[in-house]
Parts: sequence; structure tokens; C-alpha cells
Amino acid sequence: MSNINIIIRTADKTRKAELSIDLQQTGADIIQSAVENWSLPTDTDYSIVNTTSGTTIAPNASLKDSAVVDGNILEIQPVLVAG
Amino acid sequence: MTFERYQRHSLIDWFAQDLVQTAKVAIIGCGAVGNEVAKNLALLGVGSIDLYDFDTIEIHNLTRSVLFREHDVGKNKAEVAAMRIQKLDPNIKVNYFAGDFWDLLPLDKAQNYNCILCCVDNFEARIKLNQICTLTRTNLINTGIDSKFTQVEVFPFANNKQVACYQCNLPNTVYERMQARYSCGWLKKIAVTEKKIPTTIITSSLAAAMATSKALALINGNEFTKAESILINSATGVSSISNFEQNNCCIGCHTTKKHIFITKSSANITSKFNFSDNAKAEVNTSDPILVSYRCVKCNPNTNDCTVVFKKADDFDASLTTCKQCNHDSVDVVIQDSFTTHELINNYAGKKIPVKFLRLENKQQTTIIELE
Repeated sequence: MSNINIIIRTADKTRKAELSIDLQQTGADIIQSAVENWSLPTDTDYSIVNTTSGTTIAPNASLKDSAVVDGNILEIQPVLVAG
Repeated sequence: MTFERYQRHSLIDWFAQDLVQTAKVAIIGCGAVGNEVAKNLALLGVGSIDLYDFDTIEIHNLTRSVLFREHDVGKNKAEVAAMRIQKLDPNIKVNYFAGDFWDLLPLDKAQNYNCILCCVDNFEARIKLNQICTLTRTNLINTGIDSKFTQVEVFPFANNKQVACYQCNLPNTVYERMQARYSCGWLKKIAVTEKKIPTTIITSSLAAAMATSKALALINGNEFTKAESILINSATGVSSISNFEQNNCCIGCHTTKKHIFITKSSANITSKFNFSDNAKAEVNTSDPILVSYRCVKCNPNTNDCTVVFKKADDFDASLTTCKQCNHDSVDVVIQDSFTTHELINNYAGKKIPVKFLRLENKQQTTIIELE
């Protein structure tokens, strides 16, 4: 198991955490943890963006496969459905 | 007259009015964002604008819809929006299609658009439009809003065979939420309360402005090499731009080959119906088909089933309750994959009730659009 230190925040910047995380965690795992720990609305869908590299992390891709490295900032963004 | 109308545009060095005037654009969904996009494209002088929407205007739409008036309530959204933007610029060509784009937009027509702007309000329609655009290699601009955020996503399919599609990065929760609306596979649940998402003209106009800007860039021939997403917080002005990478496990595009062949065929199943030299080759249908149903209590013999062969989406879960014994004992058979042999032997004389059939081989994806 190999861990890295990253910053996770919400798109509106009202939630932010610095944490050490396993590189095998997927985008979906991190979103689920953020929704649970920060009590984000559960009737909204979210994606996760590596703001350092400017790339969206695929839901089932691990942080390792998504080339997330120490010090990166990941942002939980809503996936908007209304039009 | 026409030159004078666009004279200010001609002063902008990057603005190619001649390309804009020959451009063909479709807007799917004429609600809050669709209204603003249609207005913007018309004022820019986009030569041909097609509007699609099955929905009718309700009084609550008027707080976000610049093209609708109180006396329009009850009328089709696409029809009214088309009439109003035609008045904004009589020089442009405007068409409207009052109905579901899935039924009204043939694939060869989709191919002719410079781009399609997705302004719908649900994931099912976005996924269907994504399918049309990935298969026809038509540029897609997706929009989404809530009360605070605006999202615009650009999928430059026309010039890039290896580009992420809308589904490549779609969260799993979207599929879970969609599936929760159905029971027994693809039968609609009888009572589903749709979540109402509050929005304002602020986020819808912001989304439309950004989407129109991206459409203009595509029309002007700007090269997008990757799919991209822009998220703007309308309250703070903070924005975030990110790229989408292609997902090798994407259920929307990972089976699609680099070479796509699109053809047309009659939907009628006859003895000559043939889409492959191999009668055992499987063909996938674009929509799930309700093949048959049978009450296991009233008709224990498996051969005593009622053959339906219609789009599963046209039925709801009430079908699983037997009208004779009133028990929830009806088994339904829903398929989205058939062999030629199976179709000819079991369903000759019927029409295949879907938009298209899809075949895969090692080199090519073949799409047979049904007429």
C-alpha cells in the first residue's frame, strides 16, 4: 500500500481537507467518502477533478492510474442535470 | 442590408461571419438554457438552426425563458422558440421539431450539423444524444445548470476519433439513479417523483453564453484536441476548466471501432432480412425490446406467452401484475440482443421498434438505422 498526501475540496470551496490517501483508491471511492464525511447532498451526482493537472478522474480509475501525485488538489464538482 | 446587420461582427478579427452564416446547428431541448442558446445563435446570424423539444410551455418556465410569453403556455417549446428567433433575424433558416429527438433526428441529418447543443434536463436524453454524436462523429456541446453552478462540456467528435465521450467520466451514481426509475429491467416504475432542481436565468444565461462561445469556436474551425469541461460558480465568478480523458471501460464508447459504417434498412422483418453473413451473429438494438410476457400462475406452460415485440420503454411495471389472477406473477422477457435467425424465425412480419441496430466486428462498427 502506497499513500500520498493530497488536498480535497468542494467546488464552492466551503469544504477542504488535507489527507494521506492510498493510491489504489478510485475516483468513486473519494467522492463517496467526501459525500459521507461532509454530508454533501446525496441527491446530486459528483465528479472529481485534479485541479493541478486539469484532468477529470474517471470514476473507476485509481489515483495511481490517474497520475495523481503528492501535493495535488482534487476538487469534488457537481454533475449538473437541469437545463 | 445583411452586411449592415452584421457590420459590428465584421470588425472582430476572429469572427468569420461567412462561416457563421453557412453553419448548421441543432439545439436539443428548448427550456431555460435552450432559449438562451437559440437567442444567442440567432443574434450571431447562425445560418441554420434546428430546434427539438417534445415538451410544452408551463407558467413556471417564464422566469427563465426569454422567448416565451404568458399566452404561449400550453404550446410546444420548440415551435414557439423557433417563431421568436425567426423574428430576431429573418435572414436565418429556422426549423422546429415537436417531439423526441431520438425519433425525429436521423443519423445522416445529425452528421450534417457543425455541432449539436444539448440543453436537456435529464441524463437519459444526454446519454442518447451522446450515442448519436459519437456514432456520427458530430461535435457535441453539453450544458447543465443548478441554482449556483453552470457547466459546459465540449466533445469535439468531428475531428478526433480518440476523444472522450460524455459517458467516459459519468459517475456510477448517475446509472444507479437512472436504474432506480425502472423495475424488471426496463419497465418504468408506475410512480416516480422527479426531483425538481431550482435554477435561475443567471445560471441558464451564463451556460448558454459559454456554450454559444464554444459553438462559435467549432464553427470557426478552432481545433479542440480533447474533450473539456468548464464549471462556473455564478455567485463568485470562480471557474474551473478540466480535460476529459478517454475511458477504456466506458460503456458508451469503448466497443465502438475507429471505423463506423452507417446504413439504412427497413424495420420490417422478412425472410430476406439479413444484416450479416453469419445467421448466428448477434446484433444489438439501440433500445431494449419487450419481447413477451406470461403469468407463471395462469400460464405455467412456457410456450403460452404473449408476444409483444415493442419498445420496453413504452410499458410500465403494471405489466407485471396479471389482469386475470391479480398477482404480481407476470414474467417479462426484455432483450437488446438478437441473432438474424432468431428475428426471422420468431418475429417475421413485425417491425423492429428501435432507432438502430448495431453490429461489431474486429475492424468496424456497423449501424443500421431503421426506417
